[in-house]
Formats: sequence, C-alpha cells, structure tokens
Amino acid sequence: MSDENALVEQVRQALRGVIDPEIGFNIVDIGLIYDVAVDEGGIARITMTTTTMGCPATDYLRSGAGEAAQNVEGVHWADVRLTYDPHWTPEMMSSVAKEYLRGNR
Amino acid sequence: MIGVSLSRWTMSYFTVALLALLGAEILMVAGFGYPNHAVFAPQTIALVHLVAVGWLSLLMCGALIQFVPVLVAKSLAHPNLPVVALILLVVGLVSLIVGFLDMAGLSVGSTPWLGLGAIGIAAGFALNVWNLGRTLWSARPIGLPARFVVLGLLSLMAVVSLGSIFSASLVGWTTNDILLRLTSEGIPLHAALGLGGWLTFTAMGVSYRLLAMFMLAPEDEHRTSRFAFMTGSAAILILLIVGPTCLLILGQSVAHPMLIALGLATVSLSLYVQDMRRLYRTRRRLKIELNARMAAVALGGLGLGNLLLLLVTATGQTDRRIGAVVFVLAFGWLTGLGLAKLYKIVAFLTWLECYGALLGKRVTPRVQDLVNEPRTLPWFWLYFLSVVAALAAASLEAPIAFRIAALGMLIATAKICFDLVSIRFLRSVPASMLPEGDRAWPRLFLPRLQHFQR
Repeated sequence: MSDENALVEQVRQALRGVIDPEIGFNIVDIGLIYDVAVDEGGIARITMTTTTMGCPATDYLRSGAGEAAQNVEGVHWADVRLTYDPHWTPEMMSSVAKEYLRGNR
Repeated sequence: MIGVSLSRWTMSYFTVALLALLGAEILMVAGFGYPNHAVFAPQTIALVHLVAVGWLSLLMCGALIQFVPVLVAKSLAHPNLPVVALILLVVGLVSLIVGFLDMAGLSVGSTPWLGLGAIGIAAGFALNVWNLGRTLWSARPIGLPARFVVLGLLSLMAVVSLGSIFSASLVGWTTNDILLRLTSEGIPLHAALGLGGWLTFTAMGVSYRLLAMFMLAPEDEHRTSRFAFMTGSAAILILLIVGPTCLLILGQSVAHPMLIALGLATVSLSLYVQDMRRLYRTRRRLKIELNARMAAVALGGLGLGNLLLLLVTATGQTDRRIGAVVFVLAFGWLTGLGLAKLYKIVAFLTWLECYGALLGKRVTPRVQDLVNEPRTLPWFWLYFLSVVAALAAASLEAPIAFRIAALGMLIATAKICFDLVSIRFLRSVPASMLPEGDRAWPRLFLPRLQHFQR
C-alpha cells in the first residue's frame, strides 16, 4: 500500500470515530462518506452526505468529519464537501451497519 | 443552505404546551368541563381551548418551527419571531379562558376578556403562519409533506378567523347579522377545521417525513400519498368555502358540507394509514423505538376516532356523542402522537445542543443513550389505557369513572414529563460521556443563545 493510500485508510478509520447521532453508528459504515482523498500537501478532501437533506445535525456532522480527519498525522487541513448527488439510501450501509440496525449488535 | 440550525424556541413551546396539557388533565380530574358539564358549557369550551390552543397548537407550532426548515431544507425566515408569537399566544389564551370563566358565572370584572384573548391568539398565530409561510414560499417547489403543512396552516388561519368572529360577537363588538349567524351556526366548521384541517392534516404531513426518517424507511412518494393529500385538501376546501356559502348565501345549515368533508377525510385517512403501514413494514431499523411504537398506538386512536365519528353521524347521535369522539381524537390520536414524538425530538434536540459541537473531537453518545425506554414505556401504556377507560366512561355517561380514568392520564403524563426533564439533564448518559464544563449543559426550556451562533 502506498503512503497516500495508507493515509486515506487512516482518515477513513478516524472518520469511524464520528457517529450519526440518530442512527447511532459511525458515518463510514452508514455510507455517508462518498469519497476520501489526500493531496500531497496533506489536504484531506472528503465528500460526504447526510441521511436527510436539511437535517439539523448536518453542520455538526460536517465539522465533526473535518475535526476527525485533521487529527490524523500527516493531514494538515481537511476540506469537507457536502453533496446530495446521489441521495443517501439505506442500501449504502455496510453489512456491519445493517446488522446493527437489525438489532443484533 | 443545506443544513438548518436548531430552532431556538422549540423547547420553550414544548414546555408551555406540556404545562397546558397537565393543567387540562388536572381540570378533568377535578370534574371541570365535559363530561361533568355539557359539551357547549363555558367550562367545557375553556377546557377545549386549553387543550386545542395551549397544548396541541403550541406543540405543533414548536415542532413546525424546527421541522418545516427540515422539510424544505431552508432556514426559518425569522428565527426569533416565534418567541414574540409565543408570548402573544399565552397572553391571548389566558384572556380567552378568563373570558369563558366569566361566561360560566365566575366574576372577573368588566374587561372584554374574550375579545382581548382573540386578538392575542390571532396575532400570535399570524406571526407563526407568516414565518412558516415565508420559509415554505422561499423553498418552492415543495414536496408532499410540506404541502400538507401548507393546507394545515390555511386551516389554522380559517379557525382563528372564525374564533375571532365568535369572540367579537360574544363580547358585543359586532352586531352584523352575517357574523352573528356564523357565530351561532359556524361552530362545527371551527371545530372540524381545527381538529381535522390544522392539527390532524399537519400531523399527517410531518409524520410522513419524521417517521420515515426515524425508522429509516424509504421516502418514495406513492400514489396513495398523493390521493391522501388530494382528498384531505378537498375536505378542507369544502369546509372553508362550501360551508360558509351554505350558511350565509344559501341560508342552509352546514350539515351537508360537513358530511361530504367527513367522507373525503375518511378516504384521506384510510390512505394515510395504509402509507404508514407501508413505512413500518419497509423500515430498515428493525428494532423499533418507543416513539415509533407509541405512534402506531396513536394511529389506532385516529382510526377509532374516525370510526366513532362515522358511527355517531350515521345514527344521528352527533349532539349526544360528539364529546366522546372529540375526546378520543384529541387524547388518543393527537396527544398520544405528540407525547411519543416529543420523547424522540427532545432527546434529539438535547443531543445536538450538548454534543453537536463535540463530534469528531471526542467520543459522543448516541441519541438513544439519552433516553431510558424501558423506564418510560409502562407510563405510555398507562396513558393509552386510561384514555380508553375515559372514553368508555364518557360514552356510558359515568362522570366519576371518567375522573378516575383522567387521573390515570394525569399520572402517566406527569411521569412522561419527568422523563423528558431527565433527558434534558442527561440523567441516562453514562458519566464518562457527559459533556465537560457548564457551557455544554442545556437549559430546561430556554435557549443558550451562544449555542446557536454560527
């Protein structure tokens, strides 16, 4: 794995520390993180969404994702972009998150 | 604007609303109003307005100033206007109730309380309708749930207009024949537009979105939802236009438009219940939360209320039985749904206030960690069982049994309120997850303005 890919994986791992408060599970496994990239200059570019457009938690989730990414060594700044194209659907959740919502975890 | 802010005044609306509900239940336990007094006795009318305006309408307004922005993904047009509206509504409601007590023979001086009350209530609702209306207008074209809210707000304006005319007539501010005729025969329109158009139709619209959000169910727009909207809107427009036309131009009673509106509303409600069943069936969150479970019971109250309304209309017992029907719609359906949704919304808003700014910086609890569902659930059951008992007592014309059942409702409501306060004070959150420092702790019902500054 290249250094860049390793850093992207570390950012993803850090984002797993941020939860969607309503669903109660991390934003990576819920499928809210559409893309993570890290530039050579240590700028993390994150594209994410929320489960509902207009949700009052949107700004908190966005800044929370930025905070978590910036805590990763090698990341100097995080640029978090919100998108609703495509809209989030429950199908985007990982099997772990789906299992959680079935009440088995 | 994609994300919307927390509403500053929603918790204040909820607090005043819950106090009004507790006050109304205390009055019922004390034997004040229906069924100890006649349906149209001033005591009953005072009680009805305490429930309809003080509890249900303030609850609805508090929810709308938070969730209309969510429905249309736009910020509220005037974030601080709701507090001015709340003050006007509370002052207006107190004056109105004093006016009804005056009519009941309790001497409260010669002030025209009813008229002043109507002015306060009309001004308060007008500010909220203006604020919500501007927010909705700025988001055109709006989705189906928001369109339900628009029709609900239209109904509210009609209800308030009719109520203001009634008050002006009763205090002698007008002797206009048309307005006096509306006052003597327009009460069914006022009640149907209030309970059906404003409170029920708006609750339907909001629940399409909220239940789907909270249960992670697909939000696809179905043909049944569109028909539910169309038939419900037609019922409201018939009450709004055909009702007064029959009364004032054709010189007839409002019975026929009321019947047609009831038929259309029944179709709308049936389709709505079908949609709600689909939401529950297709939800991704299989472990169902208290708010969704109790909302389903409240939907049963809506079905029962509608069935009873059809039954008393078909058997010609409207005058004798309408009190029991209104009771089950107000307490089984609207109050049941309101308390269930409050349990979720208060936890969600409290979480955002306490932990929103901490996301990404430290481990945060889930919204579910703020509540203790096993502790609260039995009290919801006590509430609903007490409503059924009170309905049976009212139907059997047994006032003492009704008061005992109302005591059950009061105890259950008080405990649910206590649990809501516990949520606000984070009593269920593990100590290791409590927010650090005083600043992050929420106030019970007033906003910490610095929390909302961006």
